[in-house]
Amino acid sequence: MAGLKRAGWGLLALALFILALALMKEGARGIEPLLEGFFRVTNPADSLGFGWLMAALILSGSPVAAVAVALLSADALQPAQAFTMITGSRMGASLVVLLLGFVYSLRRRKRWPALTAGVLSLLISASAQALALPMGLWMLNWGWFGRLRFPGLEGASGGLNRWIDPLIQPVATALPDWMLFIAGVGLVSLSFHLFDRALPQVRLQRTEFGAVTQLIYRPAMMFLIGLAVTALTMSVSISVGILVPLSARGYVRRENIIPYILGANISTLVDTLLAALLLGDPRGVWVVTAQMAAMMIVSLPVILFAYWPYERFISRALAWVTRDRRHFAVFLVVTFAIPVVLILC
Amino acid sequence: MLLAVNDTPYGSRALSVGALLAQRAASAVDILLVAAGDEGIGLQARQTAADLEAAGIAVTLQPRAGRLAHETVCQARTVPYDLVVVGSRGRRGLNRLLLGSLALHVVAHCPASVLVVKGAARSFDRFLICSAAGPSSEHVIRFAGHLARALAASATVLHVMSQLPLCETAATDDLLAPAEELIRRRSPEGVHLERMVRLLHGVGVEARALVRHGLVLDEIVAEAREGQHDLLAVGAHTTPIGEALLEDLAADILLAVRSSVLVVR
Repeated sequence: MAGLKRAGWGLLALALFILALALMKEGARGIEPLLEGFFRVTNPADSLGFGWLMAALILSGSPVAAVAVALLSADALQPAQAFTMITGSRMGASLVVLLLGFVYSLRRRKRWPALTAGVLSLLISASAQALALPMGLWMLNWGWFGRLRFPGLEGASGGLNRWIDPLIQPVATALPDWMLFIAGVGLVSLSFHLFDRALPQVRLQRTEFGAVTQLIYRPAMMFLIGLAVTALTMSVSISVGILVPLSARGYVRRENIIPYILGANISTLVDTLLAALLLGDPRGVWVVTAQMAAMMIVSLPVILFAYWPYERFISRALAWVTRDRRHFAVFLVVTFAIPVVLILC
Repeated sequence: MLLAVNDTPYGSRALSVGALLAQRAASAVDILLVAAGDEGIGLQARQTAADLEAAGIAVTLQPRAGRLAHETVCQARTVPYDLVVVGSRGRRGLNRLLLGSLALHVVAHCPASVLVVKGAARSFDRFLICSAAGPSSEHVIRFAGHLARALAASATVLHVMSQLPLCETAATDDLLAPAEELIRRRSPEGVHLERMVRLLHGVGVEARALVRHGLVLDEIVAEAREGQHDLLAVGAHTTPIGEALLEDLAADILLAVRSSVLVVR
């Protein structure tokens, strides 16, 4: 019975997801002047900052990444801009965890414990994206993925559109484009909430990984688990949350969590890839594939050949940020200032 | 006990340390001798054998040709030894990459516990015993404890807290507390450490618990250096699934510390 209920939520979420993508694509024309005029999103640096702030604003990265591919599909963004907007959405998503931790820490005497997961997540995302961003843009620029062909893609998308168009057209004629777009953003966020309800509860404590709070697993192993669990849950915060029940005391060894988050950062883009496929635009698929490939190319050598130095670097950075209020304030200001500066400059 | 030696300074050191241990803790010793002539280590090995026999210990001298690492592993797979003693060449950097590590090979392939003798020959007064605060650590403590008692050494049981809180309800106070505080609070780590110290006291070893905070490998190496411990004891994975899933910290520690290392199986 519970399985059927989950399947129902999953189907509803998928239907809303498809509808939301179609609404955003249809309404993108209305948002284009706003993007260029008001938000000044005219180059890849702007869209990086825009994706970053937007993800922080709506408290989630996945809907923003879906918006990026929808805007690309409607020619409101160039592939490089969509790429950087997705990168920004990942950074903004990490910021969300940090903000929630900060709000929580205000209610507690000891500040740093509630912030650690957020700071760690942001540091790992930033360190990986700092290299993956130029690499992915370079791959896109050189057309690495341009040769990828998806024969059934446009056909399948056209088939979907035949079902959806009759639903959208009455709304599209009644509402202005920008409102269609906003409705699409709202629906895509709702669909992700429903996906969360539909997902099975993964219980790692019943497996060989039950001792993840005490023993130290091979980095490659934790990287693969992070990759796999997040591909199922489609969210880094949910997949990290799955580790919590492993310890009654709610913590995990940093040697295990760092490669786990590195892996999770790659497969969290699975939903964006799905969005690109549903939109039927090969450019969207190339952009998301470039993003995942660049992250993989950056992460794998770290995991296989340079894990200890990387772990020390992240650990020291974490210790610096959480040392006192002043350090944390500097970190918070910088993480908010970067996207603002990117948009303004 | 198996003493695996060859005609090198590190082979000679391993033989000296192995003989000292054997006199206090072994009833039978095999000396695996990989050397060409009767001089040098050959002479030392025969003298050691005679001394041990005089002390009532059964000794077998096993001369071999070939590579010490390979011969040691083959011998250890044939006879169920409690302990294998080898010396460390101390190769580092490119040398180790190109020529390999005798100690790493033996530790990786021997089914028995291995003592890797490093540095100049000296007494073993201070043991550092690493504990993951899990059930497998008890075996490490017992084994190292018997060795410490035989050598009249004191022991420090080290546990490293590298955990980070993941949620609002995490028991964060435990993550920063020293050993005494964890024991007083009866936290799981504290209960474990207290039990391990009692276990060592029970076999007549002076012992104390120590908790450090940070990355496990870095903190173990730092404590080995700062505490001037003569021997560091650490557990090794004993199941195929453990070897496949878990990080080989014993090998990392072996390469990083300057003191002798006991890898317990």
